[in-house]
Amino acid sequence: MPHSSTSANSISRRYLLAATGALALTAACGSNTGRAGGAGDRPALDQWYHQYGEAGTEQAVKRYAAAYRRAEITIEWRPGNYDQQTAAALLTKNAPDVFEGSPTLDQIQGGQVADLTDLLDGVREDFNPAVLTPKTYKGKVYGIPQAIDMQMLYYRKSLLDKAGVRPPQTLDELVDAARALTTKDVKGLFLGNDGGAGVLGATPLRAAGLELVTSDGAVGFDDPQAARTLGKLHRFHKDDSLLLGAPTDWSDPSAFLQGLTAMQWTGLWALPQIEKALGDDFGVLPFPRDGARGRPSVPVGAYGSAVSAHSGHIDAAKAYVKWLWVERTDYQEDFALSYGFHIPARISLAKKAAALAKGAAAEAVRFTTEHGYAQPLLWTARSQTAYQDALSRIITEGADPEAQIRAVVATANAELKRVRS
Amino acid sequence: MWLSFFDAHNTVTPIDFVGLDNYSEILGDPSFISSLVTFVVFSLFIVPATYGLSLALALMVARLRFAQAFFRSVFFLPTACSYVVAAMIWKLSIFNGVRFGLANTVLGWFGGSDTAWLSTTSPPWYWLVIVTVRLWLQAGFYMVILLAGLQRIPRTLYEAAAVDGARPGWQVFRYITFPQLRATSVAVVLLLVINAFQAFDEFYNLLSTARGYPPYARPPLVYLYYVALGQGQNLGLGSAGAVILALIIAVVAVVQARWFGLGRQED
Amino acid sequence: MRQRSTDQPTDRRMDLPTGLSTAHAFRRLARGLRLVLLIALAVLFLVPFYLLVRNGLATEADITGADWTFFPRSLQWGNLRELFDDSSVPMLHALWNSAVIAVLTTAGTLLLASMAGYGLARIAYPYASQVFYAFLVTLMIPSAVTFVPSFVLVSSLGWISTLRGLIVPTLFSAFAAFLFRQYFLGFPRELEDAARVDGLGHWRTYWRIVVPNTRPVFAAVGAIVFIGSWNSFLWPLVIGQQRDAWTVQVALATFTTAQTVNLHELFIAAAVSILPLLVVFLVLQRHIVAGAERSGIDE
Repeated sequence: MPHSSTSANSISRRYLLAATGALALTAACGSNTGRAGGAGDRPALDQWYHQYGEAGTEQAVKRYAAAYRRAEITIEWRPGNYDQQTAAALLTKNAPDVFEGSPTLDQIQGGQVADLTDLLDGVREDFNPAVLTPKTYKGKVYGIPQAIDMQMLYYRKSLLDKAGVRPPQTLDELVDAARALTTKDVKGLFLGNDGGAGVLGATPLRAAGLELVTSDGAVGFDDPQAARTLGKLHRFHKDDSLLLGAPTDWSDPSAFLQGLTAMQWTGLWALPQIEKALGDDFGVLPFPRDGARGRPSVPVGAYGSAVSAHSGHIDAAKAYVKWLWVERTDYQEDFALSYGFHIPARISLAKKAAALAKGAAAEAVRFTTEHGYAQPLLWTARSQTAYQDALSRIITEGADPEAQIRAVVATANAELKRVRS
Repeated sequence: MWLSFFDAHNTVTPIDFVGLDNYSEILGDPSFISSLVTFVVFSLFIVPATYGLSLALALMVARLRFAQAFFRSVFFLPTACSYVVAAMIWKLSIFNGVRFGLANTVLGWFGGSDTAWLSTTSPPWYWLVIVTVRLWLQAGFYMVILLAGLQRIPRTLYEAAAVDGARPGWQVFRYITFPQLRATSVAVVLLLVINAFQAFDEFYNLLSTARGYPPYARPPLVYLYYVALGQGQNLGLGSAGAVILALIIAVVAVVQARWFGLGRQED
Repeated sequence: MRQRSTDQPTDRRMDLPTGLSTAHAFRRLARGLRLVLLIALAVLFLVPFYLLVRNGLATEADITGADWTFFPRSLQWGNLRELFDDSSVPMLHALWNSAVIAVLTTAGTLLLASMAGYGLARIAYPYASQVFYAFLVTLMIPSAVTFVPSFVLVSSLGWISTLRGLIVPTLFSAFAAFLFRQYFLGFPRELEDAARVDGLGHWRTYWRIVVPNTRPVFAAVGAIVFIGSWNSFLWPLVIGQQRDAWTVQVALATFTTAQTVNLHELFIAAAVSILPLLVVFLVLQRHIVAGAERSGIDE
């Protein structure tokens, strides 16, 4: 589930007006949704999931859907840039009734997603606050967290031993380790084909003791430490210790398993595959701390199940979401633990999960509790784009981190001001 | 008839729709400006390169005494391939950054070390990847156009040149072939520029990831795609960008037409 | 066309004996070098096709192995079955969509563009030259550039993820109309004049006289439009949001950025996707070449 920790979005009122204008037109003219009515009295609902890499997930969600009696569910399984696909679809009449995703501030403010607060009556406390908070705006919940995933650093123990490197505890040690582990055919570290700008996001800032957005809604990285930390990320490039241009991206453990890299940043979802291929020849770490206020850091996120506000069957869709993601804890447990690897979003389920009690999985749970952070809802798409572009320039081109960060701070300040007004 | 103007007509809609603020906003957007710069750089690469390669191929194929049809077919064949498929082959099999990419394998034979072609910004190897995809896809098509142009040049001109003692090779090319090919060349260059404006497919398929698109090599259409249909959903701003782009193209087209002396009444 | 390609053009005469044997030898050397260069370029041009087939029929281990394998140890025809059995890749449906879209787009474009081209070439009406200029400007501004406003329009019609939305906006090709106009300009007027004498109007002249006598240009433009439609990407990407509306290009692109990538399956899918076009190519090559040639004539 690589996308789930991205949330964020931006539209100023003007654009919102344009977008809702288009929607209004759509609602007025569009009659053909391409969907036939359900069999008998049962409404027909479309439900979207992004493509999970783990075998069996698709069959599982179809099995759950088939077990639902009060509506006819059609599952759509969507690979590719999923958040972008849902964002585009929500602009049109063809939006899915139910979809997994991270409703963005614009989608919430633009009235594109339905308020699901009442579905959580009585069980709200049982959902892990780290992942429920980014789905909540002004006290209302717009997505029911399905399962938590997180990302961390995987390393090959044997390769580290051979190079005489110990698992890095600080960013400097990580830079040195990557360099020491690089040989002619094996690179030290894989952070994705863009050099890490996409996947790392705010993680290095967090590891430097900073935040994207502070709890009182201000920019949290307007600090000299930010430039020092992000500047170090360019050293991977300079040392030529970064794997780039692999056929698969960071979300797929193939590069790590094919021996193209000694360390790779990827998701918890890859754990079973890695365990199966490497046995115990691997270890996991959080992103290491940097600077005086540093702390280890891992991003956590969860897709939530959300309902399109333009669905023709909002109530049926909400009822279905409540049934699957609130009431059927057996399915939730199966979904989180039987395919790939996720941490249940329900605290009560996570506690009793035996699979999470030992080995690397237990480490991952510990990282999540101790070092986990989620991207704040106030961090909009425009801020994210500005930040990601800056990070990319710093990492790959060696651009001056101070100047880059200054530009991002300016954009983010403007955005925060806009969304809070 | 008027339906042919359908596409142009569309561009009017967003003006009514969002007002002029979007225009100042997109013109003040450094990313949009840098996407225009990217486009200019790309065009400066691709237009002369494609024209040069197509012309070279056409000249060589035209002089063949045998197997002409065979070579023409071989060079023309990539026209059947889509940008999506070509970009995939380039990204995953030729110019991937690991040891089993073809480019790195060949480099390895000569003792070079693996290069991450698409991720390396200094030197900007990604341009090599982007330009070669388009060269491969387009060169054959334009070669065929130029071949037809070559074949329309009256043979008597060459005979006269030979009588006048022009040496075959450069002189003949410089004083006869090239000037005679002018009309065809102009058409080819125009088509190449129009195509360059549409650049989207190979950029998107070579460089986009599940998390977005890097800030380099981002041509206008890719940028507008992310602005308008990405998570920003900024259709107003995207439309404004499209209108600006269309205006730029119109200006370029007029300038080009003047430059080449086109657009005079022809019949 | 056929005449032209078999008839040796230009410069055979240039090999007139000059009396200088060194120059003669030099020219033979140049010719030899040219041939070598052509062969090398031809090989380079074929490499991507080779990679497509090699990767498509290899095992994952052959593709990603440490040593380069020129030919897979054994051809994995099973990859083909794997592709069509894989429920997460709607390959058959995408091929079907692409075929329907390409056929309808070609037919529609031929109809509209040939009529528009005929109108531009033959029918006198007020402001004809202004219309033609406006036309040239639309030709210069490709529809791809205005995809955002077009998306807004199509979306307001409720045509997202429908065949209508994928086909209708692409039907009005200024380029195709331009090709027709150029061809009709060169079509002998006498035939039409004779028809006019017989009392036929523009409409019937067009259908009874012009169309039956200009089949080659229809084949040429049709082939180019078909290839363009099959290979088009941006518009289907924007409009074909639901999986049911994916074309084969969108399906391929989507799986290239998927969370997990299966190289051999991706490549066999790409190979399958260009097969129909190669067939079209082989059958219609003469016309396609003619069409390509024509797009350069008189600007």
